[in-house]
Amino acid sequence: MGISKGDEVLVNEIKAGNAMAFEAMVLKYQPKLMSSLIGYTKSRDQAEEICQKTFIRVWQKIDSFRGDSALFTWIYRIGINLAKNDFASSFSKASKVTESLDQNEHDVPQYLSPEIELIAMESENKIMEFIQTLDIDTKTAFTLREIEGKTYDEIAQILKCPIGTVRSRIFRARQLILEFMNQENILNE
Amino acid sequence: MNKDLEKLSALYDGELPSKEMQDGLAEMHADENLKEIFQKFGQISELVQRHSDQKTPKVTLLKDYLSKVNPVMSNLVTAAATVMITLIVLYQFDDDRFQVDRDSSLQLSSALSSDQAKNQLLNTDQNIMEHMIHIMQSNQSHNSQQVSKNWIPVGFSVNPNNPNQYSNGRNNLFFHLENKQLGIKKVKYFKANNNWIYLIPLQDGRLLTAYGDIPPSVANPMIQSIYQRK
Repeated sequence: MGISKGDEVLVNEIKAGNAMAFEAMVLKYQPKLMSSLIGYTKSRDQAEEICQKTFIRVWQKIDSFRGDSALFTWIYRIGINLAKNDFASSFSKASKVTESLDQNEHDVPQYLSPEIELIAMESENKIMEFIQTLDIDTKTAFTLREIEGKTYDEIAQILKCPIGTVRSRIFRARQLILEFMNQENILNE
Repeated sequence: MNKDLEKLSALYDGELPSKEMQDGLAEMHADENLKEIFQKFGQISELVQRHSDQKTPKVTLLKDYLSKVNPVMSNLVTAAATVMITLIVLYQFDDDRFQVDRDSSLQLSSALSSDQAKNQLLNTDQNIMEHMIHIMQSNQSHNSQQVSKNWIPVGFSVNPNNPNQYSNGRNNLFFHLENKQLGIKKVKYFKANNNWIYLIPLQDGRLLTAYGDIPPSVANPMIQSIYQRK
């Protein structure tokens, strides 16, 4: 699967040096990367360190990203390779593998905040159950976007409704989920 | 405020026009609250997608197949998400009992970990999938040939209104017989919701499709009997 239309726009902006687009990309994919890295390293501290390194590398290497894969797949590969290096270095102090950053590439914007909270396991099921209670129109639009990765235009064609309606429904789903998370004090502790 | 957040949601999805996107990025950059919400969108995505991945790695969904061969039907199926016909292609074949196609089993296993393999599998089995969709679209007789009475499991009797439907009072079983084998050399079976579909190649070159709420443990004697019959 190649890059999605939405991420393509984001990547083009980052390639053009738009640091705010990079910030958006970090905010968007940091939770997913952290989740993967914690699963891989079994250490939150280590995952945070690698997560930060990963996005630094992403910023520096973004020009080499051709869009042949999904953006997160590319980010994930970088993250896992760094995690492997990290793992290897812990076994070989004499030849410690360090992350060498090319000095002639872009300066890294100071937008990285690896101290991201992930949703606690016990809260996950509550949220998933809540999503099932959303009305069918809202849930369908949200699911098509989040799970199927459809564009708003594709969802509009599937549901036979205007794009504006799709946009509203997807936002409505997110808004209701956020309200539920606040109500249940998820991520607010 | 809601309009701003709706715009943020569309920004998250990469669905804003260029100018609006630039504005949206700038607004978010200047507003910690918007950043926090944007990141929470990411947390929700991560959660939903991870749960979705956990639920589907061992199955091939009918809608995935349909998106390749019939986008219109795929859209219909996708839209009706809550009543979706989820055709689950089982990969854990019981080789000993059903003499199943091991190559197919391996293909399905590899499909679990590879989109490319999954696509190859779906292409390979396109005719089979089309056949099953054709069968499952209706409970009518599909102009099927008459099945042998010897194939009917003990305790099942024919429905007077549908000569291809058999019942034992609790379970229903339908038969469909055609003069084609779709390249199937060994028994294959699939699960669609609470129904099972058995594709049984006969020695005379025809293909018997048996489907209903009969699990393999119950269907096994019938299948062995039919499959081995000259």
